[in-house]
Amino acid sequence: MTKVNRGVILASAAALVFATGLGSTPSRAEFPEQPIEMTVMFGAGSAADVTARHLAEGIAKRLNVAVPVVNRTGAGGAAGLVHISQQKPNGYSIVWTSNQMSTTYYSGQLPLAYDNFAPVARVSVETPALAVKADAPWKDLKEMLEYAKANPEKVRIGNSGAGSHTHLSAAALFASVGAKTIDVPFQTGQATVNLLGGRIEGAVQLPAAFVSHVKSGDLRIIAVLGRERDPIFPDVPTAKEQGFDVQLDMWRGIAAPKDTPPEVVAKLQKAIEETVASPEFVEAGKTVGFRPAFLPAPDFGKLIASDDKKLGEVMSQLGMKKTQ
Amino acid sequence: MSSFDYLVNGFGTALSWQGLLYCFIGCLWGTIVGVLPGLGPLAGMTLLLPLTFGLDPTTGIIMLTGIFYGSMYGGSTTSILVRIPGEAASVVTCIDGHEMARQGRAGPALMVAAVGSFIGGSVSILGLIFIAPPLAKLMIQIGPSVEVMLILFALVVISLVSAGSRIKTAAMISLGLLLGTVGMDKLTGFPRFTFGSLGISDGLSFAALAIGLFGVSEILTNLEKTDTIKAITPKFRDLIPRAKDLRESFPAIARGSVIGSIFGIIPGVSHIVSTFVSYAVEKKLSRHPEQFGKGAIAGVAGPETANNAVTGTAMIPLLALGIPSIPATAILLSALTIHGVQPGPLLLTENPQVFWGLIASMYIGNVILLILNLPLVSIFVNLLRIPYVYLVPIILVISVVGVYSVDFNAFDIWVMVISGFAGYFLRKFGYEMAPLLLALVLGDRLEENFRLSLTMSGGHYSTFVDNASLIVLGGSISLLLAVQGIAWAFGYRKTFADEAEGA
Repeated sequence: MTKVNRGVILASAAALVFATGLGSTPSRAEFPEQPIEMTVMFGAGSAADVTARHLAEGIAKRLNVAVPVVNRTGAGGAAGLVHISQQKPNGYSIVWTSNQMSTTYYSGQLPLAYDNFAPVARVSVETPALAVKADAPWKDLKEMLEYAKANPEKVRIGNSGAGSHTHLSAAALFASVGAKTIDVPFQTGQATVNLLGGRIEGAVQLPAAFVSHVKSGDLRIIAVLGRERDPIFPDVPTAKEQGFDVQLDMWRGIAAPKDTPPEVVAKLQKAIEETVASPEFVEAGKTVGFRPAFLPAPDFGKLIASDDKKLGEVMSQLGMKKTQ
Repeated sequence: MSSFDYLVNGFGTALSWQGLLYCFIGCLWGTIVGVLPGLGPLAGMTLLLPLTFGLDPTTGIIMLTGIFYGSMYGGSTTSILVRIPGEAASVVTCIDGHEMARQGRAGPALMVAAVGSFIGGSVSILGLIFIAPPLAKLMIQIGPSVEVMLILFALVVISLVSAGSRIKTAAMISLGLLLGTVGMDKLTGFPRFTFGSLGISDGLSFAALAIGLFGVSEILTNLEKTDTIKAITPKFRDLIPRAKDLRESFPAIARGSVIGSIFGIIPGVSHIVSTFVSYAVEKKLSRHPEQFGKGAIAGVAGPETANNAVTGTAMIPLLALGIPSIPATAILLSALTIHGVQPGPLLLTENPQVFWGLIASMYIGNVILLILNLPLVSIFVNLLRIPYVYLVPIILVISVVGVYSVDFNAFDIWVMVISGFAGYFLRKFGYEMAPLLLALVLGDRLEENFRLSLTMSGGHYSTFVDNASLIVLGGSISLLLAVQGIAWAFGYRKTFADEAEGA
């Protein structure tokens, strides 16, 4: 009896090995056949990390492999990008990145320019928003900018760290009218607390940081600094609509090591496109605070290049550009 | 419905089979990651975050919160047994906890830590139930300048009771402050003392330093002993705290509950700082301060209570303002947003079932943890029966894996090894490790907040005295320093020195 059982087990084990191991050998080009590791430049638990995990889940479902998420956050995310640049360009290492690709390069943290990576797809867009206390004296962006211009170094604007996207978009906005503000770099969430506590006059953050305080009537959004209005605050006009041409969307997307084969990029891109279009991902966007915004690899590459140029200019105006 | 009805409903949610099951899973997993050195609540929660995607919001958040406070229970275990802090908030527990274990009293140490954790956790939840909204308002008032004064206050309190030579303590504090400057400057993003290495661009890992300085140096010290180290074989009688232990622990637990609850609302590293402050207070108030460092049970009871008392009040800024004050609550924030629950001023009206279900589950979770941890005491204590030659490699492997898993940064392993050797020599010459680690943590916050305050005030130092709470804090600091100065002038210094010498 035991012998028979052992025989059956051995036979089925052999069959399994054959089916999984040997069976897949001839079709070697079939990507993917092992887990794809997604490096995330942002801290575990941040909104960007949550988005990455939703995306990873979607890719995993569509490509039938595990997509583990690993947070490599060192040096403003530069550590994650450096890690990716050192991996084999075979599609099994991808990185969840953002405009920080350019800002960490210009600030000197990242020794690699954006063209050291292969763009795969843009996934989402977030719009920086400028908030003030509900009882602030300025009705719209124009009034606030005029006040800031007339009172140099009196208006304090909180952001999420020197050289962060929120810092650069705030600086670009106020610099566009020649106003001098005091930029205050805070750790996660603290810009909102300090705005509520009246220790700063305004704060630029991604919408999720403000939404509950706007609903409760404590804060007011003066403008969003993107190309179009943010569905979270549909009544708030963009800076452009109010006559100030500052459009700095925060995009996030997937990149891979340079020289990743185009057919692998295409497969990843397709899985990402389907995920981004799925109702679950759209729903996640509403709760986490991002807009699904798929762009295929070539267009994504163009966007990275044009934003890189723009961010480089803003940073050199601010004296923050360390890399030429 | 009144708050009371909501609370009853909350218990209904938490006591459903789903609520109980996931609360238990969270607590158990929390205890495990707390016990394992390096792995803390952050890693534990991140690992199980995807699991909550399929759950309803209340159940998911119940499980994740369970990991958070569960890890505070587990953290003390390795601190006591093998002098390796299982978790950043259990560094202080190493000092007296491990001494107790060496005297064969690991059992009472672990038991008191579990009971203290339970009481601290429960008191803190009461704080969350009754004073969350006013406390949240208070929290908005805590700006960088208040935090600067609070940190100075904590440093003064702690420095008043440091053991041993004042000069050596000052040297360790300076070293800690220096090490704290390594890494990216938080205000300008400029890398300092990194030698171009990305591995230390975010500063030296606290977990790696703590495990190296305490744990690895302990192993190195033990290697010196030529006679074989006898495995400790505790008898059942030794597991139970004696009446004297209880008498000494309970005031410490009471004070630890208050200290932890207060520190919970301060952003940053309150879970770590509260343990140091509690230890300092216990030592100052003790009738036998000379026993601290030599196995004083109050030195375990106070800090272990305080780090759990932080868990309840640390939830207040998260739930009432939607702002995470310590890293672990940042994960909870994203877990809530994933489920479409927006924490903040409207949470109580929009999602009362989440708020009250969570509070009820935290209470139940603390009971579960107490029941879970007390029987574990005898199992953990029996781990010490493993001969030291086998125990050491196991500890080292777990430490290396744990340290690496925090940031997936191989450099941290080197930090652990080097600080282990440094710790070995420092101990030989009678330097204390705790002040170094505290200075490392607080120095960073102090510098950042000091500069933020001045940035916001346009460079005016008056920002540190321009409201009532600042003046009260500044006054207390001056008063403490003045009292110390007078005591010093009247020769108290001599008796203190004698005491330290004789002890």
